[in-house]
Amino acid sequence: MSTPVLATPDVGPTGDTAPVKGGPTLGQRLTSFMPVIALVVLLAALTIADPDFLTQRSLTAAVRTSAPLAVLAAGATLVVLCGGIDLSIAALCSLTTVLFAMWLPDLGGLTTLAAIGVAAAIGAVQGLAHVVLRIPSFIVTLGGMSIFSAVALVISDAGPIRIVDRDATKWLTLYVGGVVPMSFFVAVLVVAAISLVLKLTPLESFVRATGYSESAARLAGTPVDLVKVAAFTVSGACAGLAAIMLVSRNFSGSPTMADNLLLPAVAAIVVGGTAITGGHGSLWRSLVGALVITLLRVGLPIVGVPSAYEQILYGAIIVAAVALTLDRSKVLIIK
Amino acid sequence: MTSPAGADTEVVLPPRPQPRRGVSLRDAGPPIALAVIFLLFALISPGFRTIGNVQNIMDAAAVLAVVTCGITFVLMMGSIDLSAPGVMGAAAIAVSLLVANNRNGNDWGLLGVLVAVLLAAALGCLSGLALVLLKVPSFMTTLGVSAVGLGVATLLFGGVQPNISDEMLRGWAIERFLGLAYLTWIAFGCVLIGWLIQCYSRLGRYAFAIGGAEEVLALSGVKVAPYKVAVFTLAGAFYGLAGVMVTSQLSAGLVQAGKGYDFAAITAAVVGGTLLTGGRGGILHSAVGVLLVTVLTNGLVQVGVSPYWQGGVQGLIVVAAVAAAVIPQRRRNQVTK
Amino acid sequence: MTTHLQSQPDAQASAPVHALEVRGLVKHYPGVKALDGVDLVVHQNEVLGLAGENGAGKSTLLKALVGLVRPDAGEIWVRGEKVRLRSVVEAADHGIGMVFQEQSLVPNLTAAENIVLGSEGAGVRRGLYRWDTMRKLAQEQLDKIGSQIDPLARTDTLTFAERQMVEIAKVLRIEERTSHPPVIILDEPTSVLESAEIETLFTQVRRLREFASVIFVSHRLDEVLDVCDRVLVLRGGQSVGEVSTASAAPAELHRMMIGSTGSEDHYHDTAAERSDQPLQPRLVVKGLSGATFRDVDLDVHAGEIVGIVGVHGSGREDVCRALFGAEPIEAGEVTLDGDKLDLSGTRAACAAGVGYVPAERKIEGMVGPMSVADNMTLTKQKSRCSGPLVMPQKQATLVDKWIERLSIRTPHRGTAIQRLSGGNQQKVVLARWLVAGDIRLLLLDHPTRGLDIGARSEVYRLMRELANSGVATVLLADSLEEAIGMSDRIIVMSDGRATAEVGCPSGAKPTPLDLVKEMV
Repeated sequence: MSTPVLATPDVGPTGDTAPVKGGPTLGQRLTSFMPVIALVVLLAALTIADPDFLTQRSLTAAVRTSAPLAVLAAGATLVVLCGGIDLSIAALCSLTTVLFAMWLPDLGGLTTLAAIGVAAAIGAVQGLAHVVLRIPSFIVTLGGMSIFSAVALVISDAGPIRIVDRDATKWLTLYVGGVVPMSFFVAVLVVAAISLVLKLTPLESFVRATGYSESAARLAGTPVDLVKVAAFTVSGACAGLAAIMLVSRNFSGSPTMADNLLLPAVAAIVVGGTAITGGHGSLWRSLVGALVITLLRVGLPIVGVPSAYEQILYGAIIVAAVALTLDRSKVLIIK
Repeated sequence: MTSPAGADTEVVLPPRPQPRRGVSLRDAGPPIALAVIFLLFALISPGFRTIGNVQNIMDAAAVLAVVTCGITFVLMMGSIDLSAPGVMGAAAIAVSLLVANNRNGNDWGLLGVLVAVLLAAALGCLSGLALVLLKVPSFMTTLGVSAVGLGVATLLFGGVQPNISDEMLRGWAIERFLGLAYLTWIAFGCVLIGWLIQCYSRLGRYAFAIGGAEEVLALSGVKVAPYKVAVFTLAGAFYGLAGVMVTSQLSAGLVQAGKGYDFAAITAAVVGGTLLTGGRGGILHSAVGVLLVTVLTNGLVQVGVSPYWQGGVQGLIVVAAVAAAVIPQRRRNQVTK
Repeated sequence: MTTHLQSQPDAQASAPVHALEVRGLVKHYPGVKALDGVDLVVHQNEVLGLAGENGAGKSTLLKALVGLVRPDAGEIWVRGEKVRLRSVVEAADHGIGMVFQEQSLVPNLTAAENIVLGSEGAGVRRGLYRWDTMRKLAQEQLDKIGSQIDPLARTDTLTFAERQMVEIAKVLRIEERTSHPPVIILDEPTSVLESAEIETLFTQVRRLREFASVIFVSHRLDEVLDVCDRVLVLRGGQSVGEVSTASAAPAELHRMMIGSTGSEDHYHDTAAERSDQPLQPRLVVKGLSGATFRDVDLDVHAGEIVGIVGVHGSGREDVCRALFGAEPIEAGEVTLDGDKLDLSGTRAACAAGVGYVPAERKIEGMVGPMSVADNMTLTKQKSRCSGPLVMPQKQATLVDKWIERLSIRTPHRGTAIQRLSGGNQQKVVLARWLVAGDIRLLLLDHPTRGLDIGARSEVYRLMRELANSGVATVLLADSLEEAIGMSDRIIVMSDGRATAEVGCPSGAKPTPLDLVKEMV
């Protein structure tokens, strides 16, 4: 080391040419296909259990059920890709159903936009709190969850608000080409649009760099804070859109309507193979994950499993999927 | 490791750790805040300053205090626990089916309580095992275990609400000793036991040390994993007891017995001065935090604020408390997940 | 003065067994040989000094001795018995303990708990603490070194020097594990102490010698000579010789550490054309102050490489980061080509044409799972975009050009950067600042850390090329000779202040010793 040699560039010193690490591990290969495999296996199993399941009618129904979940999960996926977590989506979604139901008589056709806009703004506030105050995202969103629930309870007086004017959400109950439910079509459209924007602009680099290695991203001049706030904003907007979908199905808004969607949404994200440590994953994966979760949900009764097992299954799935997709090289001490 | 108190702002180079003796602001702050809030409400609300209301506050704090005892140990390690709702739900249904009830012929009495607590401890153990064996972060494992607990509760629930007729268990919530319900005395007992564990057992001290510097423990040859599992198990047991206490209050087993308690307990612990990064705070801090949260909730209701705001107030408090703890330690290139 | 260690085996056959002996220890890291056949002997009741530059292999050797690093080859013998050390606990069982450079105490426990941590013995019965016994056990240890610390004080209320005493007391617990005198390793124990505290520490070390063997590591050679009986010098992962402190002077020791050649301007290309420097420097720093540095003045001309040297804790890393907006400043003014430089954040610095290559390449320098291409264009997104859209073809052309220009060996531009070797990773990180062609000031924080010789010289060549093309460079070098070899001028920093400036022109280079004089 004491005698430096001026090497010509094409004379490679030994040991410098060999790649340091091998390709993706078996676990990584497996998890990259996991959601699709799970989906196919589930479909096959359900068809065997009940041959009637593979009909257009029941498939359409299943896909329609999955739409709000898919939108919810897709938005939160963006936050997870940035290395954070958004636990407030379900509560924010519930709050938005209430807001929508309350505003509909006054705002009419504009209500949809207003509701989604407010949800996005609330998401942005959470993002700002996370970025400016440097509070861990799960605490900010856990606090948000609690606050949104409280607000929803107070303004709705803890009861559902029925919707009289059903025209405003009628478009979501239509079918594209007579087969594909509009709500699912919108979900796919949202996922496609966000994915495309990410892909075609530097945003994808920013999001992944932030998620994989926040400090490296910051020192490379990446707008880390901006990207995070944007992710929370999109997550909020998606929660708003999911709320509209729920309202279109239930014809009411309620302060607890979406509360039980948090676990399935988190499960959809991790089952899709998006790493909870950030960087690795995609919105498409969460869409597939949402389908898997929905099939489980509608499929359990078909195979004769009491729906009480649903919760246990979510719990097991979350832990197992995170264990499979976790990037252990990044976290030395797991808290 | 920097403390807002005792940090001389004069410029000393290079920065050297200053010896800090005496009571820091972080330790003294919450009790002062508690006293101030209490006096404030007592001044503006005649309904607040009655003996009966103070009894109410103590009784209302009982369940939360027990949950917070459990979660404090987890937070001390720097982990987080979101499993309280599921674990409490499972314990609540389990105990209501084991003591005298309207669903079956069981009449196990105290043994039923014990079994329910053990079931809860097993669920807590599951969180800990998933953390140390699968290396899944605790907020994910406990979210999963909460779902498992709720599932177990739903399975046991079976569609018909179990109402308990066990006189002993029902009596806990009704009968009073020195003006306070038995449940409140149980909570006092839990705080005392928790404090003893924290100060006099290796488990408690190591939980504290894990939050302070986990890598040093490993360097000193201490195997950390068993202690982590044990802490989650202990926390589960506390949640289980809390679930039993809720059942006693309601005279019925509810799947939703623990709803909201996870967040309320985190709020209480954080407000009391326990850091989410671990290594600071403790049972007594948390007990103060519990009283603070309960006094605030009770006082707001007394002055006419809708009880539905309760969760919202907790949400604001927790964000504010964490921000207050984090801001002095902010660095420019800091990674916040 | 230089005894070659080959005679050791013969001597060992008859001589009394050594407290500790290391033979031919080898440890490879990807691309680097940290230890390349180190030999070392520690006698009973002696203080052995260990000296060597950064990267000489000191810390790897120490870690191997306490079981934190498993050597690839070589043997460790304790009192004539060959041992394999797989953990700190096993090392302690053999009587080897270490006081770590970054203190390894749990801050929120009492001193007593820290001292007995992991070996509480009678202090804990059935999982319950017996505080009286605990305090007595700790007091016994503290008495050994004559310390007056209250065992029940919380560790984070103690001063740094007091904590170090606690740490020594903790290490001495290993006496309870073996019946033999222990071997205590002190890794840079004086780096954060003041002179009075250092004197106390030395008293302790001399006290330790009465019942233990000590390995003492410090970068302050005068200290090493003061407190040790014998000094072993490491260079390039090998033991290059040892001196008896009775007969040696710091200069002599230093010559051994850096090798006989001294440092010439090996890394200089023909730099003759840079004589016509503009009068106005490109970077002017006036009175820059931050948390760890104070009143730093600095100027760098276009085409100039200015090295900043200083010991651990001199604050030079933070100055470098502050200039990139990654560390807050309290006062001071910085101009780049006459314009005020915005230090509010890294993005402003990037936009102004400032580039930074961090020391921790794997954590801060690169985004490991992302491709070479995406890493290279991460900062200068405009270079691969047309309007707001990414143009894959544009990116491919640009990246391939730079891969060729810097001869980066990668299978493909789409390969994840973490699969490249260290040197090629570093070149990608450097290329990040070059792709847009707008770089004006380059801040290099240990740019050759962890690279092997070949990769180093390529980075050197690149740095020189960039300087010749007019980039102003601030270099925090890995070693003094690297700083001397690369720099046109060297600023010496100590305790957060710039204390001296040493001219370093090609052909009239100072020796490392000249710099060391200024550093301490």
